[in-house]
Amino acid sequence: MAKSVRQSLYYVLLWLISIAFFLPVLWIFLAAFKTKEQILAIPPKWIFTPTFENISNMFSGMNFEKYAVNSVIISLSAVVIAIIVSFFASYSFSRYKPKGTDFLMFLLLSMRMVPGAAVVVPIYLMYTALGWKDTYYGIILLYAMFSIPFSVWILKGFIDGVSLRYDETALVNGGSRMHVMFRVILPQVKPGLVAAFIFNIIFVWNEFLFNFIIGGKKVTTIPVALATGLYKTHGVDWTFIASLSLVYMLPLILMIYFFQRYLLVGMTFGTVRGEV
Amino acid sequence: MANAVEFRNISKSYRRRTVLDGVNLTIEKGDFAVIYGLPAAGKSVLMRLLMGLEKPTQGEIRLRGSDASRMEPGERNIGYVPQSFALYPHLTVYDNIAYPLKMKRVQANQIRSIVTEAAQLLKIEGLLEKRPDQISGGQKQRVAIARGIVKQTDIYILDDPLAGLDFKLREQLVDDLKQLQERFGSTFIYTTSDPLETMSLAKHVAVLDGGRIVEHGTPEQLYASPAHVSTMRLLGFPPANVLEASWYEKDGRPWCKTALFEFPVQWEKGEGGLPGKTGEGFIGFRPESIEISAEERDGLIRFPCRFALREDLGGEEIVYIESGSTVLTMVVRHDERETLANVANVKHALIDPSNLYIFDRRDGRRIGKGAAYVVN
Repeated sequence: MAKSVRQSLYYVLLWLISIAFFLPVLWIFLAAFKTKEQILAIPPKWIFTPTFENISNMFSGMNFEKYAVNSVIISLSAVVIAIIVSFFASYSFSRYKPKGTDFLMFLLLSMRMVPGAAVVVPIYLMYTALGWKDTYYGIILLYAMFSIPFSVWILKGFIDGVSLRYDETALVNGGSRMHVMFRVILPQVKPGLVAAFIFNIIFVWNEFLFNFIIGGKKVTTIPVALATGLYKTHGVDWTFIASLSLVYMLPLILMIYFFQRYLLVGMTFGTVRGEV
Repeated sequence: MANAVEFRNISKSYRRRTVLDGVNLTIEKGDFAVIYGLPAAGKSVLMRLLMGLEKPTQGEIRLRGSDASRMEPGERNIGYVPQSFALYPHLTVYDNIAYPLKMKRVQANQIRSIVTEAAQLLKIEGLLEKRPDQISGGQKQRVAIARGIVKQTDIYILDDPLAGLDFKLREQLVDDLKQLQERFGSTFIYTTSDPLETMSLAKHVAVLDGGRIVEHGTPEQLYASPAHVSTMRLLGFPPANVLEASWYEKDGRPWCKTALFEFPVQWEKGEGGLPGKTGEGFIGFRPESIEISAEERDGLIRFPCRFALREDLGGEEIVYIESGSTVLTMVVRHDERETLANVANVKHALIDPSNLYIFDRRDGRRIGKGAAYVVN
């Protein structure tokens, strides 16, 4: 009896903490369907008549479609490029084991540990010199570069887990290296590909700093649009922020919900594979 | 008969480690050749070199009579059954077996008939639509063998295909493999670290030890009259007894001395001529050469011993006998156990000296045998 009471208490506590964390997200979600007055009301209004005006305003009043399309195009292309490059790289690391593989792998990962703010100035100068500012390929390549290290780590873990006998069987039967990579290895590391995809798409979709600094009007993504569209003539534009946040977060939340088992794979760099 | 495969002075080193160090071996067409050696002796490396998956550091491999060094793995036309199955998890059993044929661009209806035949041969017809994760270990191995043999070529490599399977399955598969090879008449090259598999499968055995083929011959030859101490040590189950020994001359005759007994020697003329008057090496003898008896018998070596451990295998019993600090292994047939019980109190071990082989310490070669025992 005492044990079950204690367990219930734990659950209550856990729920309270979860709600505390989730409340701001819920608030912004609900705000997307409120009028400005309802949003700013104190105490917050939990029961109200939802309005879809904010969302329809978003589609008519500003360049929302452009930002959304930019976000989708830039994140998808960057991540797809990163995964293709990473697949080749991790296959080579796993199978050919070039000298210094461990060090190179460490170096790759350390790239991901450098804070963006530390490299933003050199990258800005470089992009100015190359004339790559505010171009799709410029921003896509930058994001791909940032996505590659993590993808290589995940995929190498997966490819290491595929016995060399598979490669050998294919080669002995007349398969080429490309055949081995795409017809033999690729189908066996799909969970790794999905995990790398999800993790990187989250990163690129949320990236603000570089899009703000080396982007421009042409390649603005939603996070930058959110920040720059914050103020209107009468102060903070809450309805805009709420509705844009909603459509901005929704795709990611759905994706994470459906692919959450792959997140575990990503967080353990591919060392936990049994679950997927 | 022409040669299927010829290894000429093959060496293979990785960074700091030398795995193969001058392998010379010829495998004839239609042979069931077993490359036998301890785990990590380099058997799989040798097979990978043969398949062209790696290049030898030195030496030449000849395949069907011609130099293979410039052939791609796919051009060598070898059927391959890898260790640990390596069945493609995303393909059905049928597609796994059909894989080598698809790679060879065989017509679809032909593929179907070949795969069906192979499946019947290995008794896995019922599994064709399943995926590898839905079948048992033994079934997986059969599928892997089926995939290896559908290629219908003249040379097949089976790289320790039964490793990790349970005893009964291994026995069945050993029989099946033997029949398959006889039916195809093609060359099977089989690697294993299991002495029983080796003895029951091989037409010829090559013993790989220390990066070299130390001996090559029929299993009967190698078992009954090993020419190298590694063969003596490795081939056979329970393993042979190998003791440190030294030789000297007594009354003008060579004698050999071990920690347990002494016996007169008969040298064999080898490449290096007769050994010197004194020297050091090993003697080896099979577990079945030891007898336990209460009485002394003419011409047999006799020394006291006690039983250290007995392992009943059903048909026979392995008895570990201890004499001084030396432990020897002997085998007793089940119907002889009664004799063992009768002498249990006296316990003397008897060995016929003609069953003792003497090996040189320097190169492990056999240099002589025990001679008829003279009772003084």
